[in-house]
Amino acid sequence: MKPLPYGPSKQELMVVRVFEDHRIALIFQNYSPKKMSRFSPFSHLCVLCVSEEAENNALSLWIGMASKFGLAGGIPERKVRPIWDAIDSRQFKNALKHVTTLLSKHPNSPYALALKALVLERMGKPDEALSVSLNAKQLLYANDSLLMDDLTLSSLQIVFQRLDHLDLATACYEHACSKFPNNLELMMGLFNCYVREYSFVKQQQTAIKMYKLVGEERFLLWAVCSIQLQVLCGNGEDKLLFLAEGLLKKHVASHSLHEPEALMIYISILERQSKFGDALEILSGKLGSLLMIEVDKLRLQGRLLAQAGDYTAAADVFQKILESCPDDWECFLHYLGCLLEDGSIWCDEAVNDPVHPPKFVNCKVSHLTDEEFDSRLSTASAFIQKLQADTSNNLIRCPYLATLEIERRKHLCGKGDDDHLIDDIVKYFCRFGHLACFTSDVEMFVDVLTTDKKTELLEKLMKTSGTSSAAPTKKLGLSISLFKIKQLLLGDMFKSSTSDLELSCVQMFEMYCKNLPLSKDLDPQEGMHGEELLSMTCNILVQLFWRTKNVGYLVEAIIVLEFGLAIRRYVSQYKILLLHLYSHCGALSVAHEWYKSLDVKNILMESILHNILPQMLVSPLWTGLNNLLKDYLKFMDDHFRESADLTFLAYRHRNYSKVIEFVQFKDRLQHSSQYLVARVETPILQLKQNADNIEEEEGILQGLKCGIHFLELSNEIGSKSLTFNEDLQTRPWWTPTSEKNYLLGPFEGISYYPREPLTEDRDTSLKRVIEKKSLLPRLIYLSVQSASASIKEHVEVNGSVTPDITLELKLLLERYAQLLGFSLSEATEVVMGLPNGERSSVVSDSNLIDWLNFTVFLNAWRLSSHELVQSDVNGCRPRIWDILDTSLEKYILEKVRSMEPQVCSPWSNIELLIQLVTEPLAWHGLVIQSCLRSCLPSSKKKKKSGSAYQSSSNLAHAITDSVRHLSHVLEDVMKWIKEWNRRPEDENLESILILLRNNEGPGQVLHNLETFISSMNDAELGDRIFHSLKSWSPADVARKMMTGKLKVLMEFSAICESKFKLLQSMKQQVAQP
Amino acid sequence: MTTIRRFCCNDLLRFASVNLDHLTETFNMSFYMTYLARWPDYFHVAQAPGNRIMGYIMGKVEGQGESWHGHVTAVTVAPEYRRQQLAKKLMNLLEDISDNIDKAYFVDLFVRASNAPAIKMYEKLGYVIYRRVLRYYSGEEDGLDMRKALSRDVEKKSIIPLKRPVTPDELEYD
Repeated sequence: MKPLPYGPSKQELMVVRVFEDHRIALIFQNYSPKKMSRFSPFSHLCVLCVSEEAENNALSLWIGMASKFGLAGGIPERKVRPIWDAIDSRQFKNALKHVTTLLSKHPNSPYALALKALVLERMGKPDEALSVSLNAKQLLYANDSLLMDDLTLSSLQIVFQRLDHLDLATACYEHACSKFPNNLELMMGLFNCYVREYSFVKQQQTAIKMYKLVGEERFLLWAVCSIQLQVLCGNGEDKLLFLAEGLLKKHVASHSLHEPEALMIYISILERQSKFGDALEILSGKLGSLLMIEVDKLRLQGRLLAQAGDYTAAADVFQKILESCPDDWECFLHYLGCLLEDGSIWCDEAVNDPVHPPKFVNCKVSHLTDEEFDSRLSTASAFIQKLQADTSNNLIRCPYLATLEIERRKHLCGKGDDDHLIDDIVKYFCRFGHLACFTSDVEMFVDVLTTDKKTELLEKLMKTSGTSSAAPTKKLGLSISLFKIKQLLLGDMFKSSTSDLELSCVQMFEMYCKNLPLSKDLDPQEGMHGEELLSMTCNILVQLFWRTKNVGYLVEAIIVLEFGLAIRRYVSQYKILLLHLYSHCGALSVAHEWYKSLDVKNILMESILHNILPQMLVSPLWTGLNNLLKDYLKFMDDHFRESADLTFLAYRHRNYSKVIEFVQFKDRLQHSSQYLVARVETPILQLKQNADNIEEEEGILQGLKCGIHFLELSNEIGSKSLTFNEDLQTRPWWTPTSEKNYLLGPFEGISYYPREPLTEDRDTSLKRVIEKKSLLPRLIYLSVQSASASIKEHVEVNGSVTPDITLELKLLLERYAQLLGFSLSEATEVVMGLPNGERSSVVSDSNLIDWLNFTVFLNAWRLSSHELVQSDVNGCRPRIWDILDTSLEKYILEKVRSMEPQVCSPWSNIELLIQLVTEPLAWHGLVIQSCLRSCLPSSKKKKKSGSAYQSSSNLAHAITDSVRHLSHVLEDVMKWIKEWNRRPEDENLESILILLRNNEGPGQVLHNLETFISSMNDAELGDRIFHSLKSWSPADVARKMMTGKLKVLMEFSAICESKFKLLQSMKQQVAQP
Repeated sequence: MTTIRRFCCNDLLRFASVNLDHLTETFNMSFYMTYLARWPDYFHVAQAPGNRIMGYIMGKVEGQGESWHGHVTAVTVAPEYRRQQLAKKLMNLLEDISDNIDKAYFVDLFVRASNAPAIKMYEKLGYVIYRRVLRYYSGEEDGLDMRKALSRDVEKKSIIPLKRPVTPDELEYD
């Protein structure tokens, strides 16, 4: 069939219905009024599920008929077409011209007005668009004789949605439906409005009306889904499910069901009410035949039987599944669970976070008698043995791993035989040891062994691998598994001696190099043999660094991974390790480059961004950070905007389970902890970026509604439950979550493998962080206001004070103090003690920024709360102001002096230094700017309030003092940064490479590498690998590290310079007579 | 060791280890959700012990008349689980559904002309190169349209290779 000039494409056409009188109704996938405008809308639209072929026939028929109609929203189609064509080609001005012409002939046509609003909105004139669409709405309401067609309404709906006024669109549809109560087309439009608003109750009511009108199954299911959503995502009580069940039961009795998804929903409703018997009855009845995939049906049946407590029947069902799918591990666990009459696996499913399911299966202590238990397990063993015998495919692992699970269960009941388990693991190793997943497969089984038994197992495994005469790739796989299992079994990295670990590194690295020839004929896109060896080498080198604090190991780890990426540049595992290593060393710009090379986009940002975001948040790389935040928020907000429309798509395609899933998923993302962090950090970044110009900063604050919105967020956060969607498995062992970095602390043995995320702790602490951070915009706003109010108040002696600001600031300070763990007066005391030589016990590196921020805001508040006059005995500044300046100086210079400008020095102190300058110092700078602006009137006002400055000479002195003070501090910082740049590049490089040139300690892997490179030839390695090897040099890596670090420092230097300039200009302003 | 089940939204938050692979595209949300909303039976995920995601397949069924066919939009396996014939298993599943449930005539897929390992794998699974699509990938690289006939196409008409390459705008489906 040829595409028609103006016809919808076949992909867009979703459903066609041919009526007896030959009228046809259509629904489009990307339902747009544009398409509809080209063909007449039908006043009575109905939708029916038809087969693809029937759709095509109907489409041909419809095309023949479509030309006979010609009205769009009461306006001839030919007059509307040019408007849509212009919109299509983004010629909005042209479109507007056409609309204006159209409106001159149809001034009261809501459709024409809706089109105008649409064009205006696209032209970026939201206010005009809103007013025009409100006009259209009014006309729709006023003139009852007008055609209330879905075309006009849906055009208006689009505008209202884009203008963030879903409520207005809903109101239009509600009105239309009340005027024409039996119009299915309008009711579907209204249902869609409620879907967009997540109004589950109203969805349900509308769907029921539609169901009553036409009696179609799908409308009933729309209602049932809406009820389920009330229970799962709203405040609906469980008893509502009984109502849904009743509705379904009645419909089934008279009409049966025709869609597999309808059956699934029916069963899920019964399941949720624990009516497993009823569900089973339905499933085994006629309706069961709706489920076309037999295994799916059996799985469902097994689950229901198990939940109903009929374990024997359930085990039979799972056994049947295993016979046809012998590799289905989950099914085996279900089977075993049923044999042992342990239903905990189903209870856990309901409790566990579906995004972070546990690695291990929980099992209850068995209530079976010893004999029963033994006999059940021997039944399982016999069945598994049969499965093993029946499977010819040597890639099927499940029946072999199953024997291990059976042994594990025995162990858990105190009936285990270690030797059996060890033998079984060895057997499994012989069969599957060469696979990359071997270690993760057996992880949970070796866990039950004692340390001695683990050693014994290791010895056996080593012996076995020694005798193996496998093909080279298989042999390599076995050796890698052996290395991995060694680490796993012995917690190897933490117990072995330094020299043993060094030896392991060298061995693994050598193995990688020696086996490179195996990969010489592989496509560069394909994963190479032994790639894992380099990440394992890196892991141990980092461990050595942690133990010895010798930075050389860290450098060597970086070199190893960079080498791996030079050989094949696609290994994402290396890239993630590298980005953490570079971050730790301070070469954040290089870390960011590696992150970008991972091409993390769309939903991956939600699970992977945590690898880089926290470091960037405390860095001076503001442009990069801004891009990260912007891209991420755009992705999330786009999803929230479009999610409801996709939910409606699932409704229309009768995939009801997906309806529920989509709504739950949207909820999950809306509560994402990372999303909240990004939302709070975005304005803070803007405020940091503009802090050197108070006018611009005020513009930003205005855009943030003076921080009110974030204040609300801060108030709400406590009651929200956050979701954690990060994929923590991607993180390296030394930083299992973004809050934890073992390398910053002293060496201690940790069992990082296996590890599970600690969601609860993170929830509480992150909420506090967000609560605190979201106070910042408002605190900054109020501080600026308070500073300027203090001056004005000072000038106009009896003038109006601004008690609101002072009062609100005080309340927020109380909250801030509370978040630091103190009352306002206690916190003030802590602040007073800040500059007293010895460090207060409550202030540490981890909360220093919070305390200094608090001091900035406290000072601003005191300015307007009459403390101004009580200046410090030694100077002209108010006491707290003085303390603030002194503390900033003290802490900043303390950091600067503690760090040698060495390329390899630790970086965490620099992060803190950067934060000191870009946060408290910046906010304090704003307060000073605000004071100065108020007491130094602009030329226009000079005559009126010329005395302001003179009358507050104390303040002038305070400003002068403070500016001088802070200028010195910044000068020192800039001088310090310059030191870094002073050394010639060669010397810098040498200082890195020298770390690896000792006879002992770090450098042994590199030494091996250099020997290897010089010994290889292209015949052995193939051109590609050989070329990569030859052109690679460790000096390049050192250079990359160094320039990366310097780049970050240069960015920081630029920030300091900008602040320094601001202070200089303020100095001049104050100095002017 | 594979439990194959329907893909669900939460899997989008768990498939990083698979999608970080440079040849695996991470689409926008409406793309995934449209597939889930329209063809949930064509979107499956394989899960390993310890609940790790091993890989997944997404596809759809579309076309008219004798072009009614299953389409593989993406099939991908995490590095840890490669060389275990998982892709084959997933492909077979999609073929079965196209063949037995939707009664399609053939299954097709597009692959980068440079992706030799993948082409080789599809050929092993019984796919033939039906035609070349010029500059199919971002207007740069050519794509190959590969097909495998199903039982309904008794005479295997659907897989007779085209003589000339086509351009993307000549394609019948997106």
